Amino acid sequence: MRCFIERVVTNHDVTTDIKALIPDAGLRRRMSRVIKSAVSTAMETLGGVEGIASLDGIITATGWGCLADSERFLRNVIVDKEQLLNPTPFIQSTFNTVGGQIALLGHNHCYNVTYVNRSHSFEDALLDAMMRAEDGDSEHMLLGAFDEETPSQHRIMERMGAFRKVECGEGAMFAIVGAKRNERSIAEVTTLAFPTESLTRERVAELYATSEHARVIYNGYAEHGLFPTASALCFAEAVKLVADGTPEVVIYNEYFGATPTVIVVRCLA
Amino acid sequence: MEQLIQELKEHLIEELNLEEITPADIDAEAPLFGEGLGLDSIDALEIILILEKYYGVKLANSAEAKPVFYSVKTLAEYISANRK
Repeated sequence: MRCFIERVVTNHDVTTDIKALIPDAGLRRRMSRVIKSAVSTAMETLGGVEGIASLDGIITATGWGCLADSERFLRNVIVDKEQLLNPTPFIQSTFNTVGGQIALLGHNHCYNVTYVNRSHSFEDALLDAMMRAEDGDSEHMLLGAFDEETPSQHRIMERMGAFRKVECGEGAMFAIVGAKRNERSIAEVTTLAFPTESLTRERVAELYATSEHARVIYNGYAEHGLFPTASALCFAEAVKLVADGTPEVVIYNEYFGATPTVIVVRCLA
Repeated sequence: MEQLIQELKEHLIEELNLEEITPADIDAEAPLFGEGLGLDSIDALEIILILEKYYGVKLANSAEAKPVFYSVKTLAEYISANRK
């Protein structure tokens, strides 16, 4: 099972004005920070709203979802004593808001699924994309991940001791994934594994690297911050490294002792 | 009435997140839905909340919603007549 990557963009790479990326002011004004960040990253990846029409799969991943809207809705429930509840934060608080907004912007009714499986969310979304590519269900997909940090979530997780070793983080990443190699392909994903035990960096290289020049990104939380879909930013880093000449990058992700995951990104043969 | 209209415009801008619009940009007699500000059904729910939350005004029946929600001016007139 494998798939080909045509483009990757993270929220840090977005340079286009948000009004050009999300031209529908009606949709834009209801978007919270994470939705704006994720949807504009997706639009930058696709080269604008026009790019949505060519997609036959939109697969997103998030561990925490649209936290700020969820918090706003819950706060309203308490403050307004379950009366006079504002509908917008409720509507926008669902995990699949980003996938839905992308589809709405392009009026595209293709396969659209969001994976919410803690630190495996991105890997499960990638697995879905690879399976659809393998089965011939989708040829040209948008794969993405996003998570946001909020002051209340930060406070709670800090009290749990989550940020003793690394800082909290947030981010968004989107990639165009093809079932077949074409002139736009820049890398391929050859392996996605869910090892049953923790592995050291050396063991990861021994088991999964096939090139002596392979790089290993081992728990990239120090660089990208601690959040459930941080491995998606490691994935973007890996694709960029491969596009720049590194033959192979192995990404190892183990979050708070959850079952680890391994993704291997390789240069095109 | 002028003060109420100004206040309503400010609530609409804040609660509906109307980007880059100032109270002066809103014509009090222009339609709120479709043309004019181009609001939609979710905004209508938000406006119902503005009426209840800030003025204690509830719409007695849904049939009167259309003329009341026509413009900022009609909203202000309804509030003035029904405010407790």
